[in-house]
Amino acid sequence: MTRQLPLPLALAPHARYETFVAGANDSVVATLRSQVAAEVIWLCGAEGVGKTHLLQAVCAAEPQRAAYLPLAESKDLDPAMLEGLGELAVVALDDIESIAPDPAWNRALFEFYNEQQDLNGRLVVAASVPPGRVEFQLLDLASRFRAANVFRVAPLDDAGLLDALRLQAQARGLELSESAGRYLLSRVKRDMRGLSALLAHLDNTALASQRKLTIPLIRDALSTGA
Amino acid sequence: MESNSAASASIWDQCLRVLRNDLTDQQFHTWVRPVQAIVEDGGLRLLAPNRFVVGWIEDNCLERIINVAAPMPVFLEVGSRLPPIAVGTDTTSSRRPSRRDWPSSRLNAAFTFENFVEGKSNQLARAAALQVAENPGSAYNPLFIYGGVGLGKTHLMHAIGNEMLRRDGTKRVAYIHSERFVGDMVRGLQHNTIAEFKRSYRSLDALLIDDIQFFAGKDRSQEEFFHTFNALLEGQRQIILTCDRYPKEVSGLEERLKSRFGWGLTVSIEPPELETSVAILMSKADAEGHYLPDEVAFFIAKRIRSNVRELEGALRRVIANARFTGQPTTLEFTKETLRDLLAAQDRLVTISNIQKTVAEYFKIRVADLLSKRRNRSITRPRQIAMALAKELTTHSLPEIGDAFGGRDHTTVLHACRRVKLLRETETRVQEDYNNLFRTLTG
Repeated sequence: MTRQLPLPLALAPHARYETFVAGANDSVVATLRSQVAAEVIWLCGAEGVGKTHLLQAVCAAEPQRAAYLPLAESKDLDPAMLEGLGELAVVALDDIESIAPDPAWNRALFEFYNEQQDLNGRLVVAASVPPGRVEFQLLDLASRFRAANVFRVAPLDDAGLLDALRLQAQARGLELSESAGRYLLSRVKRDMRGLSALLAHLDNTALASQRKLTIPLIRDALSTGA
Repeated sequence: MESNSAASASIWDQCLRVLRNDLTDQQFHTWVRPVQAIVEDGGLRLLAPNRFVVGWIEDNCLERIINVAAPMPVFLEVGSRLPPIAVGTDTTSSRRPSRRDWPSSRLNAAFTFENFVEGKSNQLARAAALQVAENPGSAYNPLFIYGGVGLGKTHLMHAIGNEMLRRDGTKRVAYIHSERFVGDMVRGLQHNTIAEFKRSYRSLDALLIDDIQFFAGKDRSQEEFFHTFNALLEGQRQIILTCDRYPKEVSGLEERLKSRFGWGLTVSIEPPELETSVAILMSKADAEGHYLPDEVAFFIAKRIRSNVRELEGALRRVIANARFTGQPTTLEFTKETLRDLLAAQDRLVTISNIQKTVAEYFKIRVADLLSKRRNRSITRPRQIAMALAKELTTHSLPEIGDAFGGRDHTTVLHACRRVKLLRETETRVQEDYNNLFRTLTG
C-alpha cells in the first residue's frame, strides 16, 4: 500500500473553556470565568492536568488585550519581556516556579505585579505547587502571591480523559470509538499532554496508512513505539 | 474616533482570525494578543508592549498581517494608547489610567482606616497614621512605617491618602511604588521629560512611596528622590514611606537619606497576634457578607501565623469554595478546602535549612556557623541558629550541638539562654529572630 505523507498541521482544538473537559475542576473554571479586577488566581497541579489549557482559555475569552507567558522557557526570554504587560486586561503566567531563583526575573515580576494590580488587571498563574512552596528569591513577591486565590487542578478520571480524548479526536476529524478510547487509556500514561501528543501520532499513522482509528491501528501504532 | 476604532477592530479582527489558524495557541497568546491596534492616518498602527513582541512579530507574522490589511499600510512599534472611553461596553471603566498619565493618585479606595483591623501589633502605627491623615504636613513628617512583608504597611499608607482626600478633595495625593518612581525617572531621562517629572512630584500635597528598600543601590534615583524629598518637606507637604526594615538598616541607601527618614516619626508593624488575626478574618468575611464561625476563624488564624496577606488568601479560598458548592463554612469544610494550602505550611524545618537561612540572612557562610571561630559577627548568628533549631525542630540538644560542628549540648543550652535574654533587651536581636522565624515557618 502506498503511504501518504501527512502535512505537519497543528489540528489540536484551540484552548478555550469550551474545549476543556472540567471533570472535578468545575469550580476552578467557574472562578476563572468570573474573575474580578485586581484578583490573582493561582492554579497548581501535576503536569498534564490542563493548567496550560486553562491559562490560554482565560486569554482566549478576554475581549481586550491579553498575554500568555510560558516561563518554563524563561531561559530564552528576557525579564524585560514583562515591560508594558501591566497595562493588559489579563496576563497568564505559566510554570512560574521556573523563575523563582532568578533575581532579575523576580524584580521584573514584582514591578509588573505592582503595576498590574495598580491598573486593576487580572493575573492568573500556574505552577506545580501552591505559592507557599515556591521559593521566590524576593520575599516581597512571595508574600504577594500568598494572597492569591489558590486552586488545585485535579487530574481527570478515566471517564473525563475519555471525553477529552474524543473531543480532541473530533477536532482532528477523527472518530475515536469508546472502546478504542478505553483500549488506549488502559495502555499509556494518562496525562493530557502525553495523550494529545499520542493522538497527533495516531492521527498521522491513520492518515499515512489510510486506515480508521481502530483498536488494531492503535495496537500497531503503540507497538511501533508511539 | 468611533469609526476609526470600528475600522481598526474589523481589520485587526480579520488579522487575528487568520493568525489564530496560522500559529499555535501559545504563539498566538504570547505574541499577538498583547498587541493593540488602531487605525490612524489611513494606516493600521500596531502597538506592542515591548521590543520583544515587536521583534517576534516582524520575524514571524508581519508579512501575513500586511497581506491581510492590504492595501492599508501597517506600522508596528512599541507603545500603548488608552482605550476610547465608553464605546459600547463598560469593561474598561474599572481600569485606571495608564502609567504614562502620572501623576494620578493611584490610591486604592478599598484600603481605609475603617477596615484596618487594629491590634497590639499595629496600634502605634495606626494611631500615627491617623494623626498624619488629620494633620498632613505638620504632625509627623516624614512618617516612616516599617515591618515584614504582608503585614499591612501598604494598607495603612493608602488609608492615610484616602482619608486626606476625604477631608479635602482638592489635595494632590500620589501613591507610588518605589520601583515605579525609579521607572518614571528613567523614562523621564530617556524621553527628555525629566523637568516635567520633577515638577509633577514636587507639586504634590502628599507623596506616598512604598517599599523604599528598592531604592538601594540606585544612586541616580536616590539623588533625585533626595531633592524631591527636600522640596516637599520645605513646602510642608506630607511624605509617607514604607520599608521592610528600620531605615538605618537598609544597605545601599545614602546616609543623608537615612538620616532624613528619621526626622519625623518611625513606627513599626509587627506580625499580628492570634486575636488580631481572628479579628482580621472576621472583618474581611463580614465585608464579603459571609458568615464565618469563630472556630473556623481561629483554625485559619492558628495555622497561618506569619502574614496577613496569606491569611486573606486562605479566607478568600474558603469563601469562594463555599459560594461555589453552596455548603456552609464548617470547620471540616474549611480543613478540606485549605488542605493543599496548609500542606505547604507544614514543610519540614531541618537544622541544615536553619543554618542555610541564618547564614544567608547574616551574609556569612554556613561553614562559619560550624567553625570554631569566636568573633561576635559569627557567634551571634550561630547562637540564634541554635536557638531556632531548638524551637523549630524536635532534635535533642546533643544532636543540635553535633550539627553545629560537634559542640557540646551545654553550649547549645547556653546559646538558647543567651538569645532569650538578648531578645528581651535588644530590639535588633528580637527583629532578626522574628524575621528568621517567619522565613523558616512561613
